[in-house]
Amino acid sequence: MNTSLAQRFIQKIALVYPTAKRWLYRFHGGVFPPYHKSLSLRQPIRPQLIPDRLILPLQQQVGQPAELLVEVGSYVKKNQLLAQSHKDANKDLVVPVHAPTSGFVEAIEAYSLPHASGLKAMSIVIKPDHKENAIDNVLNVNGALPETPQAIKEILFHAGIVGMGGAGFPSYAKLPKEKGKIHTLLINGAECEPFITCDDLLMQTKAHEIIQGAVIVADALGADKLLCGIESNKPEAIQAMQTAAAKTRVEIHIVQTVYPMGGQKQLIQELTGIEVPHNLHSVDLGLLMMNVATYAAIYRAVTFGEPLTSRLVTVSGLGLESPFNIQALIGTPFAVLANAAQPKVEIDYPLVMGGPMMGFQVQDNQVPVIKTTNCILANPPEPIEMQMPCIRCGECMDACPVNLLPQQLYWYSQSHEFDKVEKLNIADCIECGCCSYVCPSHIPLVQYYRHAKSEIKVIHAEVKAAEIAKQRHEFRLARIEREKLERETRLQAKKDAVKKQVADKLAQAGDSPESAVAPTQKSSPAVLAARAAAARRAAKSKATSTKDHNEPESDQLSPKTPVQEKMPTARRKAIEAAQKASEAAGTEKNPKTAAKNAAMAAAKKRALAKKQEVDAPPFESNDRPNETSTATSTEQRAANIPDVTDASQSTQTPDLTLDSTSEKLTKEVDDVTQNKRQKAIEAARKRARERQAKPPETN
Amino acid sequence: MIEALIIFIGLALLFGLLLGYAAIRFKIEGNPLSNQIDNVLPQTQCGQCGYPGCKPYADALSKGEAEVNLCVPGGTEVMILISEITGREPKEMNAPDEDTQIKTTAFIDEDICIGCVLCIKACPVDAILGATKLMHTVIQSECTGCDLCVPVCPVDCIEMRPAETTTVNWQWPDPADAAIAAITPDQGSEK
Repeated sequence: MNTSLAQRFIQKIALVYPTAKRWLYRFHGGVFPPYHKSLSLRQPIRPQLIPDRLILPLQQQVGQPAELLVEVGSYVKKNQLLAQSHKDANKDLVVPVHAPTSGFVEAIEAYSLPHASGLKAMSIVIKPDHKENAIDNVLNVNGALPETPQAIKEILFHAGIVGMGGAGFPSYAKLPKEKGKIHTLLINGAECEPFITCDDLLMQTKAHEIIQGAVIVADALGADKLLCGIESNKPEAIQAMQTAAAKTRVEIHIVQTVYPMGGQKQLIQELTGIEVPHNLHSVDLGLLMMNVATYAAIYRAVTFGEPLTSRLVTVSGLGLESPFNIQALIGTPFAVLANAAQPKVEIDYPLVMGGPMMGFQVQDNQVPVIKTTNCILANPPEPIEMQMPCIRCGECMDACPVNLLPQQLYWYSQSHEFDKVEKLNIADCIECGCCSYVCPSHIPLVQYYRHAKSEIKVIHAEVKAAEIAKQRHEFRLARIEREKLERETRLQAKKDAVKKQVADKLAQAGDSPESAVAPTQKSSPAVLAARAAAARRAAKSKATSTKDHNEPESDQLSPKTPVQEKMPTARRKAIEAAQKASEAAGTEKNPKTAAKNAAMAAAKKRALAKKQEVDAPPFESNDRPNETSTATSTEQRAANIPDVTDASQSTQTPDLTLDSTSEKLTKEVDDVTQNKRQKAIEAARKRARERQAKPPETN
Repeated sequence: MIEALIIFIGLALLFGLLLGYAAIRFKIEGNPLSNQIDNVLPQTQCGQCGYPGCKPYADALSKGEAEVNLCVPGGTEVMILISEITGREPKEMNAPDEDTQIKTTAFIDEDICIGCVLCIKACPVDAILGATKLMHTVIQSECTGCDLCVPVCPVDCIEMRPAETTTVNWQWPDPADAAIAAITPDQGSEK
């Protein structure tokens, strides 16, 4: 009686001093905007409307997108599972997507999301066939009520239920795992945003489902107390809910009509008197609050096995002739619903998702209704009030429902001093928009806080990334160091092993040292064979040359013998080299170059030898077995020319020096040969150069 | 006279012992100044300062061997922080400070990659995955955007791309910019 007297007194004062209404509830601040709720309350809930196509984003909530289970062109039935999670759902917060109606999958592509950014994300586009072929009880429930938190979490996960009040946090992740942790379950029926009436109508029409849903959750979680808060401006809803809750343990509380009464922390404080501390969740205090629409969805999932495929949406706004509420399929484009409400003028302005206080303008009016869409607002654009400088009036501070200092926050946000903004607990800001609403300078305060919040998020992410980068860099340095050390030890071990092996062998071969050497020679049998062959050939040619020599030598004069004795050594070497080369020519890949090189070497040596020979009368030593020493000088000379040009043989053999009968002739010939020889050498060198240059091309 | 001497010698000894004990008992591992500088550096490990990583640059700064304005990714902000920590005069950045510097990460065109492992060796944070003659790829979450892998690629298959904007990393626009944008056309019409 006392309280009601006080209330009445305050309401009298409020007529002259409007902010006196703030004394009527427990939390701080709050505003009293014009509600415009009657607009959409005039009509009953419209029957379901199936649009030409449904757009279902794979991610409709906080967390990660779900993974596709269907293909383009496949036929889907109503309630069929379209996307599911293969990851750890609890960790990644993935929520499955179900088909709202039957039809064909027209496309799977990126569509604009109902998100302030207007970003595109992967969506399933369904072309409905209007037949409503449904899979009943897709969740396979048997009517038995879940008794453990785990069981109800399972159902909520498979039904794809998220918080339908606006935040869209997956409901299964919100419930605690342990039974008895929640002592009080709260039902949020305080729909405080202007224009929105979907929860009001839901409570009026489906009060039983809401109450039953809450009882099911309370039983599963072992909660003793059930509290429901409904704002005083919804008398019909209160009536319906009180009737439905009559024989249950649900207590219906009428709360003051104030914005933001529907905020979770605000309503908790109003109903229980507990103010949730800044770093805790309500679940930590044994309190769990969910929206009435969420409870209704839970009831349908648990009793009928129905997934969340449609929701009640308010289509309202000053730009519409006949605003209404509709049980809209998830995926219905905004424009379809807005146009169904007879817009006063063609909607060429952006629609708003949510209410006028917390909602945001969508970037594309074709964005679909998602699980968190409670309202589509078509308010024609108003002239934007000019932003004026802050006059430090403190209105925002008085209006803030979470006791922050909006003026200070604005000050630091504006100057980008985000560390100070963070110290002022901007993380607790619920972005309700009360401060912007009361600001006489029309400063979009909430926009500043949202920007500051996302900047702080980025700064935190950067700090975390830098820390990880530092760790990884340090690990890399350590790894390189370790690898180096390992390599060194390995190398050392190898060296030691080799040393030991050698030492062992030496010790073994103490009596026969050759045996230790022999294997190393054996290791190259090819070389050995080549050497043997060369030796054989050399011996053979030596034999033949000496054989050939024998005959002319007898004819030759005695004074030439010392030179003759000298020459063979040089020549023989040249011949050996040439033969080795020609032999190698058979096996080597570029035999010509090898032969050429050998020929060159031989020629040089011969030239040298010839110079020494010039004074002394030349003698003949035929190194070619097929040539005979009896050939005449002219024949020799004639033969010499092609011989020189043909460089592939052991070149410019000085066969012409043979004339032993006439000294005069010999000298004459010698001069000629000298010239020719030099020419021949030059020609040979030139060719050698050419040939050496060629091989890489020809090969 | 003698008493005073004894008292002061005694006191000197006492404090000397105390200081000596404190020096051992409260010894700080590593260079605290260098660690402090290292914490403000962006940890890109890009080597644009001329040191082989952020830590070596911090070490050089703490010894007074390096200039305060060498950190390119950190920009003027980090330069000011460094000069505050080291107590030295702030200096102009050599490289022009890019306000619009967007964080980029490396992407490997996997069709072109020949699997030469050169980029793997160049990466300071081991963010590239691959093996000899096998395709390489970049672990996006670990890439610091240091650009070190770009010049070493013999087939130029590495590209630096800005991070894709999703609903997770999307940022609310700065209303101050919007306010300025709203004012600017008015001024234009006045003129």
